[in-house]
Amino acid sequence: MNPIDPRVHQALDGEIPRDTLPPELRRQAERLEAVAALLAETPAIESVAARVMATVARPAPTRGRRLVRWFVTPHAIVLRMRPLWSVALAAGILFLAFFPVRETGPRLGQEEGVAQFVARFPDARSVAVVGSFNDWRPGSIPLEDVDHDGIWRASIVLPAGTHEYMFVVDGERWVADPLAGRYIEDDFGRENSLLIVRPTKR
Amino acid sequence: MKALGLLLLAVLPLSAQSVRARLEGRVPASSIVAIDSLVRVAAAENLPTEPLIQKAIEGGAKHVSGDRIVRAVELNLDQYRQAQALLVRAGDAPPVTPAEVAAVVSARKRGLGAPVVERIVAAVPDERRSSALHAVADLVGHRFDPDSATALILEAVRQGMHGLRLLDVSNAAILEIQRGRTRAEALAAIRRDLPNVAAAPAPARAAVQRARRPVAATGREPSGP
Repeated sequence: MNPIDPRVHQALDGEIPRDTLPPELRRQAERLEAVAALLAETPAIESVAARVMATVARPAPTRGRRLVRWFVTPHAIVLRMRPLWSVALAAGILFLAFFPVRETGPRLGQEEGVAQFVARFPDARSVAVVGSFNDWRPGSIPLEDVDHDGIWRASIVLPAGTHEYMFVVDGERWVADPLAGRYIEDDFGRENSLLIVRPTKR
Repeated sequence: MKALGLLLLAVLPLSAQSVRARLEGRVPASSIVAIDSLVRVAAAENLPTEPLIQKAIEGGAKHVSGDRIVRAVELNLDQYRQAQALLVRAGDAPPVTPAEVAAVVSARKRGLGAPVVERIVAAVPDERRSSALHAVADLVGHRFDPDSATALILEAVRQGMHGLRLLDVSNAAILEIQRGRTRAEALAAIRRDLPNVAAAPAPARAAVQRARRPVAATGREPSGP
């Protein structure tokens, strides 16, 4: 390293007049001033560390952007499968294509709906629903208590519209549906339950 | 005697024969002639006949005496006449249809007063009337004030709701009181929501798949809505 004479420092800092320097030191001071001016004009070069930190600090791409990137980037998909399973899969697809799964249950007309009857009769041996939809014939629509918990149920296809009905318990006791919510005088001193069936489109 | 019976049977109208055939074995034999006669009167006056037959069969199924069955059919016939008069009074041009008469009688039996029914009949076009009557009857059945209930349903009609959607309005109001609101609050809340009231849920898929048809379904048209 070439040491700078302290007098040159003093002259550059303005502590002593530059004229007091010997000619050689004065030229050295002028060269240093020229270099300093050149450095001031040159743009600052970003350091490697600064560039690395800028990259690290960049926010992570959003989930959507990652998803888009995943979709547009080629991937190798390897499906390992025994030939037997692939044959079975092909057979299954062919079966579904030629024999589509059919809706189970009744085919409903445009003006038909499904009425669900639910009643709690814990000690009953049988429960049936009778009404204007089955000519008031007891026994023609039995309810079922499959799990023997005293809750009797039936789902019945009926014409859309208004129907009057009652439950017949053990073939002799006529009871209005406590859950019906709608009741109408039966003209025999009691009330029928009233059901409004909405058309069910399938 | 047998020949005379056959002759009588031959001259009777076919509908009368079928009425008697339907009543045979379903109602006390002594009441069949009287019921048949009442049904024929109803047909002659353009009043509903099928509900009269159903009423008689219902009485028979409930083991009601023949006299009481005849009285019930007479009562219904009288109610039909009153309903017919009400419809004409409310502005319907005669002859009114049996279905409209039946809808009015159903509403009256469900507890709607004649003035309320008349108000609805006068305000609501034919195809919406039955649902409107049922919707108001639903509300009155849950102790809503009849006039306020009628006002709500008529407002729903005014906003373009019709058919079974009117029952969604009454159902929504009933649901509000089940949630703890007063009846006045429930009516106000539903009125604010009109016409965007939630529709009734469709039956569960499993229930539809399990559904069966009644063995002895008559296949006759039920009354509205």
